[in-house]
Amino acid sequence: MADPITVEHLSAWLRHFAATVDERHEYLTELDSAIGDADHGVNMTRGMRAVVEKLDAGAPEFADDLFKAVGMALVSSVGGASGPLYGTFFLRLGTKAGHVSEVDASSFGQALRAGLEGVIARGKAEVGDKTMLDAMVPAVEAFERSAADGSGAATAADAAASASEEGRDATEPIVARKGRASYLGDRSVGHLDPGATSTAMLFRSLATALAA
Amino acid sequence: MIGIVVVSHSEPLASAALDLALEMVQDAPPPIALAAGTGDGGTGTDAMRVSEAILSVDGPDGVLVLMDLGSAVLSAEMALEFAEAAGEVRLSPAPLVEGLVAAVVRAAGGASLDEVDREARSAASAKAEQLGGDGGISEPAESSGASDADSADQRLTMVVTLVNEVGLHARPAGMLVKAANDVDATVEVAANGRGPVDAKSVMGLMTLGAARGTELTVTASGPDARRALDAIRELVEDGFGEDR
Repeated sequence: MADPITVEHLSAWLRHFAATVDERHEYLTELDSAIGDADHGVNMTRGMRAVVEKLDAGAPEFADDLFKAVGMALVSSVGGASGPLYGTFFLRLGTKAGHVSEVDASSFGQALRAGLEGVIARGKAEVGDKTMLDAMVPAVEAFERSAADGSGAATAADAAASASEEGRDATEPIVARKGRASYLGDRSVGHLDPGATSTAMLFRSLATALAA
Repeated sequence: MIGIVVVSHSEPLASAALDLALEMVQDAPPPIALAAGTGDGGTGTDAMRVSEAILSVDGPDGVLVLMDLGSAVLSAEMALEFAEAAGEVRLSPAPLVEGLVAAVVRAAGGASLDEVDREARSAASAKAEQLGGDGGISEPAESSGASDADSADQRLTMVVTLVNEVGLHARPAGMLVKAANDVDATVEVAANGRGPVDAKSVMGLMTLGAARGTELTVTASGPDARRALDAIRELVEDGFGEDR
């Protein structure tokens, strides 16, 4: 069980997420072709491959350096709105986590919160807009709750992953109010949001990496 | 002169919009940089490239950033966090193509960031006006200091008739703006019961909807008022260099 969370855990998280996105990119694109511009799978794959390349070139020793590298790689390689959004998430996460080689569950919860707030500020969206926030907000809240109970990082990450998956599923009946999908209005109903779906993958990858 | 940055998902779109705008300022365009498409030539935006573009045209007069939709806006906002520019950097809410044309012409005349920003913003209302409705958007600005009480100031007025085929469309309007910029005078133009509008505003001039045969009422004040009217009369009578 991973408590404290080490930089190796965090690298494993990112590699697992990259592998998931790679493997499921057709599914993400399929979701995005229903309500967006059909590029979420391709964009996220390109972004996470850039992240993995950076990790391969020499994984940083400290959390802030790691997430700065990740954030910058995403910002400059994704191409779509998920670049600045995920980029901001990781940049803020790293700044809050600080120049440390390991972090406890409670501090990591605070870092996730900082990342989430960055996404809210960047995208100017809220829960119910049918965006990645519908998965990210419940995930971060669940992580914080679980960490406050003292149940450890792996348990908190598992709670976050489950909450993000519920949040993702809840996007299906919603009318989109942000991004390209909002142009579709009522026609966006009946489809999962691609951003919420990739965010649920992100938190499931975290749970997998911390359970190892 | 202020700098201008064009942020688009598409490199061909940005280049074409820029070509269109540059046709109107052939001699002395402002510094302009494009940040369009992904690094590998695909469709998308890249905050780092936006940041580099801003720094490449940065200066004490400031930079106006024009964007297309969605992630172009997010990437531009993100770029503001990276780019440590010397001057003020402002993101324009203007529609990309119309706003760019308006901004480039105005910036080439040496206008401030505030003036260029305002000009770009007016681009959508100018188009609505041209389509015959106000589109719920404000009328062109009223002329200032136009009352008769100002008669101590030298105010010269002339009426000229448009002889060129297409009237006061974008390119002729751009030439008129240049003539107004080249002199030390406040110049206003009215036509069709509309205006007066600032002759340094290409979008303002286009709101007049002045076609061939329209009478323009041109008013100038300031040290070069006479020169301003002479230059504009020459342009109009010459049909702005177009076939008549």
